[in-house]
Amino acid sequence: MTDEIIRMEGLTKIYDTGEIQVTALKEIDLTIHKGEFIAIMGASGSGKSTLMNIIGCLDRPTEGRYFLEGVDVMEKSDNELSAVRNKQIGFVFQSFNLISRTSALKNVELPMVYGRVGAEERKERAMELLRNVGLEDRAHHMPNELSGGQKQRVAIARALANKPQILLADEPTGNLDSQSSVEIMEIFCMLNRQEGNTVIIVTHERDIAEFTDRVITFRDGRIIKDEVKGVGSC
Amino acid sequence: MLIYENIILALTSIKSNKMRSFLTMLGIIIGISSVIAITSIGASAKGVVGKEFEAYGMNNMFAYLNWELTQDGVEESDLIMPEDIEALQARFPEDIKYISPYVQVESDTKIGRVKGKVSMYGVGPDYHKHKKNMKLLHGRMINASDVDGEKDRIVIEKKAALSLFNKENAVGETLAVVINGEMKDLVVVGVYEVPASLFDAMFMSDAYQTYVPYPILQTGDRSNWAIELYTNEKKNQDALGKEFTSYLARIKDKEPNFYIFESAESQLTTINKILGTLSIAIGAIAAISLVVGGIGIMNIMLVSVTERTREIGIRKSLGARTKDILMQFLIESMIISAIGGVIGTILGIVIAAVGMSFAKIAIVIDPKVIILAVGFSAMVGMFFGLYPARKAARLDPIEALRYE
Repeated sequence: MTDEIIRMEGLTKIYDTGEIQVTALKEIDLTIHKGEFIAIMGASGSGKSTLMNIIGCLDRPTEGRYFLEGVDVMEKSDNELSAVRNKQIGFVFQSFNLISRTSALKNVELPMVYGRVGAEERKERAMELLRNVGLEDRAHHMPNELSGGQKQRVAIARALANKPQILLADEPTGNLDSQSSVEIMEIFCMLNRQEGNTVIIVTHERDIAEFTDRVITFRDGRIIKDEVKGVGSC
Repeated sequence: MLIYENIILALTSIKSNKMRSFLTMLGIIIGISSVIAITSIGASAKGVVGKEFEAYGMNNMFAYLNWELTQDGVEESDLIMPEDIEALQARFPEDIKYISPYVQVESDTKIGRVKGKVSMYGVGPDYHKHKKNMKLLHGRMINASDVDGEKDRIVIEKKAALSLFNKENAVGETLAVVINGEMKDLVVVGVYEVPASLFDAMFMSDAYQTYVPYPILQTGDRSNWAIELYTNEKKNQDALGKEFTSYLARIKDKEPNFYIFESAESQLTTINKILGTLSIAIGAIAAISLVVGGIGIMNIMLVSVTERTREIGIRKSLGARTKDILMQFLIESMIISAIGGVIGTILGIVIAAVGMSFAKIAIVIDPKVIILAVGFSAMVGMFFGLYPARKAARLDPIEALRYE
C-alpha cells in the first residue's frame, strides 16, 4: 500500500461520567493509508462513533497515540485541532448538519470562511463544488427546501471545501432512501477513485459496506475483524 | 478576523427574529433615549438661560450689605449714602456705566373703575440704555432732569397702558399711587415693552413693572441697603465686584467683606452649575435603565446560544476556533445594542425636540453626548454579551453536535 495517513497505537478512550467509567475504545492499533476506502462497522455502542470523533480531531484519546499524517495529534492545541478539522478533514453526518438559516451556497462556503479564504474565491469554489454534486441550480435554496439526498450532497460539497485528504462520514445514508443512498455512495466512490481521497464511512448496513475496499468491525471497543476485500463494488 | 462575516451573520439573525430583537433592544432604546433627552433638555435650558441673561445685560450687578455681618441690627453708618455712591462713581469712572440706589415700592392704583397694582422701580437717568431688552414705544425714559428734580414721573409697560388707560400711548396720563404713605399723582412720560421672558413665571407678582426716578421713592436720610450698577462689560465682573465692594468698605471704614455683590455673570454661572448637576444626576438615573437593558441582552443571548448549540457544534466541526465562535456572539450582542443605541438616540432627540417646542425653546444637541451614548450602548452589549459568548465558545463540539 501507499503512504500511511492515520496510525493509532494503543488508543484508549474512557468516558468518566463521575460515578461510572465507560471504556469506549480499548487499545486500538490501526493504520490507514492514503487513498483507502474503508467502512467501519459495528453495533451501536461498539465504539465506532468514538473512533470517528477521535479520527476527526473532535475528541482526544485518554491513552495511546494518534498520528495524523505523521503528526501526533495529542500534542496539538485546541486551535491547531480546529485548523486540522478545517483543512485536513471533511465531515459528513447522518443528519446532514447543514446550518438551516443560511443557503446551500453559504453552507458550502463556511469551512472556507474559517479557513480565511477571500469572499470572491470562496463563492467561486463553492459554486464549483455544488456543480460537481449536481446542485448548481439549488445554490440559493435554504436547506429546508432540499430533499434528503440533496442535503447530503450539499454536505459532501461542504466537506470538500478546503480540499481535505480525509473524508469522514458518519452513517451518511442513515436518513436516506435506498435510491439516494446509492447516489451518495457513488459520489464517495468517485471521490476515492478519481480524486484520491481517503474515505472512511461508519455504517451498520452491509450493502453500504459492500461499496468499500476494507471493512473494520468493532465490538465492545475493540476491533474484532479487519478485512481487506481488495476492490469494492464501485 | 471574520468581522465582516460576523456582522452579516448578526444582521441576518437579528432580521430573522425581528420581534425578539426589538424587545431585546427596547431596554437600551429607553435608556439611551432618556439620557439623550435629559441632557439635550438640560443643554437647551442652559442656552435659554444664557440668552435671558444676555438680554438683561451681563454687566448688571447689585452690591449690598452682607447680612451675615449685620444680624445684630443695621447701624446707620452701615447703610450706603448718596455721597458713597458719588465716591464710587468718581473712583471708577471707566468701570461704572450706571449706578443708582436699589429701591422698589409697590402700590395699588385705580383709574376710574379699573384697579391695578404697580411695582415702581427706582432708576437713575437713561436706565434703558443699559437694560438691553427694554424697548421704548412711546415718549421717553426717566431722564436726568426727572431724577435731579425729583419729579413725579413714571414709565409704564405696554400691558399696563392697555389695561389702565385702554390705549397703548398713555403718555401724558396720570397715575395715582401711594409712596411711603403719601398719595402722589405720577405723570406717564413713556411706555415700554420687554419681550416675554422665561423668568416672567418666576415673579409671582401681578403688579405691573414701572420705572420712576429713584429719589421719589427714598425716605428721610436717603440711605440705602443696596445699589444697582451696570459695569464695564469688557472686564471680569467678579474682579470688578470685588474692587467696588472693597472700596466701599474702605471709605465706610468697615471690614473688607462688609459689602458683597452679585453679578449677572455669577448668577448665570450658578444657574448653569445647578442645571448641569441636575441633568447629570437625572441622566445617571436614566443610565441605570441601560444596565437593565444590558441584562435583557444577556438573557436573550443565553437563549440564542442554547438554541444554536447544534449550529455551534457544526461550526466547530468545520474548523471554527473558540475565538471565532466568541466573536460571532459578541458581535451579535454588540450590534443589537448599538442598533438600540442609534434608535434610542433618534428617539431621545425627538422627545427633547417635542418637549422643547412646547416650551418654545430651540433645541441644543451635544454631539459628544450622542457619540458617548452609542459607544456606551455598544459597550453594554459587549459587557453583557461576553458571558453568553464565552459559554458558546467553550461548548464541547461532540456534545453540541448531539444536541437536539
